[in-house]
Amino acid sequence: MAVKINLHLTLRQYTNDQETVEVEGKTVGECLKNLVKRYPAMESSIFAKNGKLANIVEIYLNLQSAYPNELARPVKDGDEIHVTMMLSGG
Amino acid sequence: MLTGEELDRYGRQIMIPQIGEKGQEKLKQAKVFIGGAGGLGSPLSIYLTAAGVGHIRLVDHDTVDLTNLNRQVAHWTADVGRKKVESAEEKLRKLNPNVTVETLSVTISEDNVSELVAGFDVVVDAMDNLPTRYVLNKAAIDQRVPFVHGAVNGFQGRAMTVIPGKTACLRCFYRGPVPQTKFPVIGVAPAVIASIQATEVIKVLVGIGDLLANRLLTYDGLNLKFTEFKVQRNPECEHCARL
Repeated sequence: MAVKINLHLTLRQYTNDQETVEVEGKTVGECLKNLVKRYPAMESSIFAKNGKLANIVEIYLNLQSAYPNELARPVKDGDEIHVTMMLSGG
Repeated sequence: MLTGEELDRYGRQIMIPQIGEKGQEKLKQAKVFIGGAGGLGSPLSIYLTAAGVGHIRLVDHDTVDLTNLNRQVAHWTADVGRKKVESAEEKLRKLNPNVTVETLSVTISEDNVSELVAGFDVVVDAMDNLPTRYVLNKAAIDQRVPFVHGAVNGFQGRAMTVIPGKTACLRCFYRGPVPQTKFPVIGVAPAVIASIQATEVIKVLVGIGDLLANRLLTYDGLNLKFTEFKVQRNPECEHCARL
């Protein structure tokens, strides 16, 4: 068992178009760190230089907004994280 | 009171039990503000005009460019170089002369937004940038009127409806500015999202159905998948916390 991360379309270029990745972790932050450890090119798309989430990124935990303090949210086996991006076009 | 022509024109939607003549009358009396006459604003204004919303104010400062025509369906090849609002107004008036279509070729800003949206029943977000979306979000909250958000990128889109003081607003999840970049888009993406926004506007005006309130609906056209996320109000939101 692990935590399933659903990747936004723009992030799938780093996973060979794989939509979901299973990772281990006790918090959303740990899971995302483990994700970028596996796919280092993804790091700058998810995290700002200061290690916080990039402003454009949105995190949902079990289909519920994890805002604020997303990275500190505890997770357990079987949970699902969605990493999405804000959209601004019209 | 609906005229005989209106009873005929809207007959198929009046047949919908949740709308009926009463609902159609509500649409006729309604005033809708649409910010943006581009990819989202084009189908939005077309569908709301066709549905018989009584008064539409469409605001956009831009002119029609050839590169707009893959998605901004209110504008046609001969309109290149015209003001977008003029081009759209011409089509909308021809589509439904019963509707009062009012257009303004101005830039929506913090300075003029209160005046622009004052007196309107719903504010619809058809902008192409986040800063102006937040300006409209705040103005709708200040006026205590519903705000119907929509945005697109590529094959994707999202929509959400804000009921001021009751449901999460666009600013409730704000973490900081996002760099503005030229976005890719194919016309069918704003077509889907604008149709969802127009559906929400009609439901708000008639007072029917279940709104996308506290629900962010995301659309992935490439894999044809809708996902719904639950969102909640931020008690410290700088736009809506005081309500």
